[in-house]
Amino acid sequence: MNYSTISSALASQSYDKIADICDNLMLQVAAEGVSYQDEWPYAIHLLGHIYVDDINSARFIWKSIPSSIKENKLEVVAAWKIGQKLWTRDYGGVHEAIRGFDWSQELNGLVAAYSELYTKKMFQLLLSAYSTISIQDTAVFLGMTEDDATSYVLQQGWAVDPASRMLTVKKQPIVTEQKVDPGKLQRLTEYVFHLEH
Amino acid sequence: MEGDDETSGPMIDEIYANGGDDGNRNRRPISSGDQLDIEAYASLYTGRTKIARLLFIADHCEKNSTMELEALRMAYDEIKKGENTQLLREVVQKIDGRLGPNYGMDAAWCSTVDRRAEQRKEKLENELNAYKTNLIKESIRMGYNDFGDFYYAHGQLGDAFKNYVRTRDYCTTSKHIIHMCMSAILVSIEMGQFTHVTSYVSKAEQTPEALDQITGAKLRCAAGLANLEAKKYKLAARKFLETAPELGSNYNDVIAPQDVATYGGLCALATFDRAELKNKVIDNHVFRNFLELVPEVRELINDFYSSHYASCLEYLGNLKTNLLLDIHLHDHVETLYDQIRHKALIQYTHPFVSVDLRMMANAFKTTIAGLEKELEALITDNQIQARIDSHNKILYARHADQRNATFQRVLESGREFDRDVRSMLLRSNLIKHDYNLKTSRKL
Amino acid sequence: MDPLEQLVAQIVGLSDTDIPRLLGILKASDDLLRADWTRLSSVLSQLDPFKHSLGFLYILEASTAGPTTKEQAETVVPIITSFIDACAAEQIRSIPDKFISLCKRFKDQVVLLETPIRGVAPMLAALKKLQTSTEHLTPLHPEFLMLCLLAKCYKTGLSILEDDIFEVDQPKDLFLYCYYGGMICIGQKHFQKALELLHIVVTAPMSTMNAIAVEAYKKYILVSLIRHGQFSTSLPKYASSTAQRNLKSFCQPYIELANTYGTGKIEGLETYVQSNAETFESDNNFGLVKQVVSSNYKRNIQRLTQTYLTLSLQDIANTVKLNGPKEAEMHVLQMIQDGEIYATINQKDGMVRFLEDPEQYKTCEMIEHIDSSIQRIMALSKKLTVMDERISCDQAYLSKVGRERPRYDMDDFDTVPTKFTI
Repeated sequence: MNYSTISSALASQSYDKIADICDNLMLQVAAEGVSYQDEWPYAIHLLGHIYVDDINSARFIWKSIPSSIKENKLEVVAAWKIGQKLWTRDYGGVHEAIRGFDWSQELNGLVAAYSELYTKKMFQLLLSAYSTISIQDTAVFLGMTEDDATSYVLQQGWAVDPASRMLTVKKQPIVTEQKVDPGKLQRLTEYVFHLEH
Repeated sequence: MEGDDETSGPMIDEIYANGGDDGNRNRRPISSGDQLDIEAYASLYTGRTKIARLLFIADHCEKNSTMELEALRMAYDEIKKGENTQLLREVVQKIDGRLGPNYGMDAAWCSTVDRRAEQRKEKLENELNAYKTNLIKESIRMGYNDFGDFYYAHGQLGDAFKNYVRTRDYCTTSKHIIHMCMSAILVSIEMGQFTHVTSYVSKAEQTPEALDQITGAKLRCAAGLANLEAKKYKLAARKFLETAPELGSNYNDVIAPQDVATYGGLCALATFDRAELKNKVIDNHVFRNFLELVPEVRELINDFYSSHYASCLEYLGNLKTNLLLDIHLHDHVETLYDQIRHKALIQYTHPFVSVDLRMMANAFKTTIAGLEKELEALITDNQIQARIDSHNKILYARHADQRNATFQRVLESGREFDRDVRSMLLRSNLIKHDYNLKTSRKL
Repeated sequence: MDPLEQLVAQIVGLSDTDIPRLLGILKASDDLLRADWTRLSSVLSQLDPFKHSLGFLYILEASTAGPTTKEQAETVVPIITSFIDACAAEQIRSIPDKFISLCKRFKDQVVLLETPIRGVAPMLAALKKLQTSTEHLTPLHPEFLMLCLLAKCYKTGLSILEDDIFEVDQPKDLFLYCYYGGMICIGQKHFQKALELLHIVVTAPMSTMNAIAVEAYKKYILVSLIRHGQFSTSLPKYASSTAQRNLKSFCQPYIELANTYGTGKIEGLETYVQSNAETFESDNNFGLVKQVVSSNYKRNIQRLTQTYLTLSLQDIANTVKLNGPKEAEMHVLQMIQDGEIYATINQKDGMVRFLEDPEQYKTCEMIEHIDSSIQRIMALSKKLTVMDERISCDQAYLSKVGRERPRYDMDDFDTVPTKFTI
């Protein structure tokens, strides 16, 4: 089996491509009749899907893994643990699952990148979903200690009320491109013309 | 994005006391839940409806045995004036000796009345047969009519109806037809056959000769009752509102002018919009005559129109017990009341950008939580375009963004069109290949 | 010369020059191939799967006919895999039935070997070679989707479901394609697409009831509830009268589930689901039913957003019947995360403020989206017009219409060709 595409994707930190690469490679080796399962990098495959937020696919991969592997390869189980926490929306549990395993050299980069990505996502979620939130909950969502979490959000302009241990969220203005390409306008004009005649 | 609670600030100014402040108004005190004065009530009616209404009260005034017995006593007396022995037996059974020996079974009276009835029936039969052999149209009509009257008096309503209707073939003038219709209507109302009522009302109205005022008014009332029974409250309101004052006490054997005011007023309140309420009820000089007879209804309509909801609802609350004892309104009280309350809630909120729920709850004599639930239902039903700020207890009007809504609709219809056309093309291809019939069997 | 040898020589000779003639010869050689089938595999080595695709296909198909043991399958599967990979599309398309039959047998064999994943990539390659355009649904589409389901490669299955299908060889292919496709979309939580596919099955022309339509209808009901929070029992009028009359009676427990759902009362819904769990489980729909139940909470919360500007978490919990404000908060949070509502949670006051959809329809992205929708719809309209014109000129159609409605006004005849006679 040739895993070079996977390793080069890992090496170049193209983590968002891992899932597709793994999917294709798996179908390819399976079609060749190779008995791939014992050697297949399931942990990478699972994390690849998790990285692009495709928990459904990660779950189907997990379901297709032979039980002997589930029993023997701890890292695969640990990778799915992250997926499981995401599946059940155990926001804090994801951080614990990431921290709760001593990842191999090969996976370290991917897991660290995902951890960072997930923290950012959680921050965005808090930003959009809360106007005030307790320091305690913020720390759970961001997977940090209360002090770290507080200083993290203070940097983003949030305010802290030490008495109630509550944080006030500062919304960030969302900048979106509103400039219209003249070509588009031209096209819209044509549609209207088309409808009128 | 602003903080959570800021938005309510500037709008507070726009909240006005809406109907809450009644302090300096001159109004008659609302008598709280007067018990129905049965004697006065019964005096409004004559004939069968009087008995029917009394019996209805006796059956429905649960737990109030004084009232029940009073109603039964009056019904007994009234029945004795007539010839319906069967009815007497029923009432006696209901009284069950509770009114003393004077209100027991009067077997002598019954047998006298029954015997007389036998003789009368025989006489009528002979007369009718004679008329039939002689083929005198007018006499035959009279003969059937007499039979109708006879059966009606004895409580055989089905036979009465049949005989009245039979006169139809022998009617020679519009007057006859109207007479036939009025009789049929009278019997049908008592039988609860309101579809008959509707059809005989329209038959009477179709006669070529102009109707006299009184007959016209009677027909309006009958139509009103039929619509009320059919839950067509708006139509019922219209009919009662069109009733001419000449009605007076002429239709006492069916309806009193007081009923016209109550039925018409409540139906109108429940179904009319503000403009209609003003034009067709409040400014209606003819109907005002009726309303004068029931000042509470007049007051509550005026209160509603001038947004004094608390007072309006209070009047309604006081009237309720008695209305529930009304033979015709009984089944409709809850529905009409709900509709009136909903309309009041809607009207209250309508002119405002924001409404303080505390004030509103006060005006409607309810709790804030209860009001929230009521408003929630109306908003869900899209009857009020607003949203509730449950935190600050304020209701904010919601103005739909036309532009965004249009975009949303356009994209949605685009998606639907896309999907529909694709499946249409697919289906037509299936049919075109003519596979569907032959091969689906093999599936 | 041995007739088989002779056939091989002809295949080699004609493959480049005269495919139609070769096809004729091959069609006439069925008996020969059947008689000599033990030698076929050795003969194959003399042929090139790309250059001599047609002949290779014929001989390979004949050699794999008949029942197969696991051992045989083990040797045949790689041969077919590499043939599918190598064969020339134009050649195999001249005799699609043989190719389809070979591929179906291939699917049976990988299933027999309990390695459906081995078939996924080859089947995809096979259907791509067979289809004349992406609008063409081949009989291999449902086979491919089925392998994806068995191998749990849902994402791979999704790739062909994006194509718009218009041409169909067999209605059964379409039924199965849409049904399996629906299941794949459900697995990937693409509920809108799943609804569309299942809807096609339910409304497709059919003269007798079939099991696929019934199963599709069950899933359609469930997915409607999950996606839209409601379900209307009335089928569109273009649905076949068979479906209109019979579908509902086959799916009674599901219709009742939808009715219970409609009341918005979660306890009633849960009780109903529990007492009918066996039915749903035996239909393999229990997972979906559970999603239906949890979507009822969402639906009730969404209803609150239409009514309230702010509402306490406690009130939400009470109204929606959740265990306390924390659970309500988690529900609201998940819905915000999934873009199902717009709201902000105020933990300090225990309140939620519901917001309007922030979309202003002003961004370039949105304009781009609208523009591409318009383009798509215009293209579809054009297609529709072409189809309409084609049908109105179709002789078979006209004569059928003419027969059924013989007494036309004379004016109506003017629009049809003169050869139109009854």
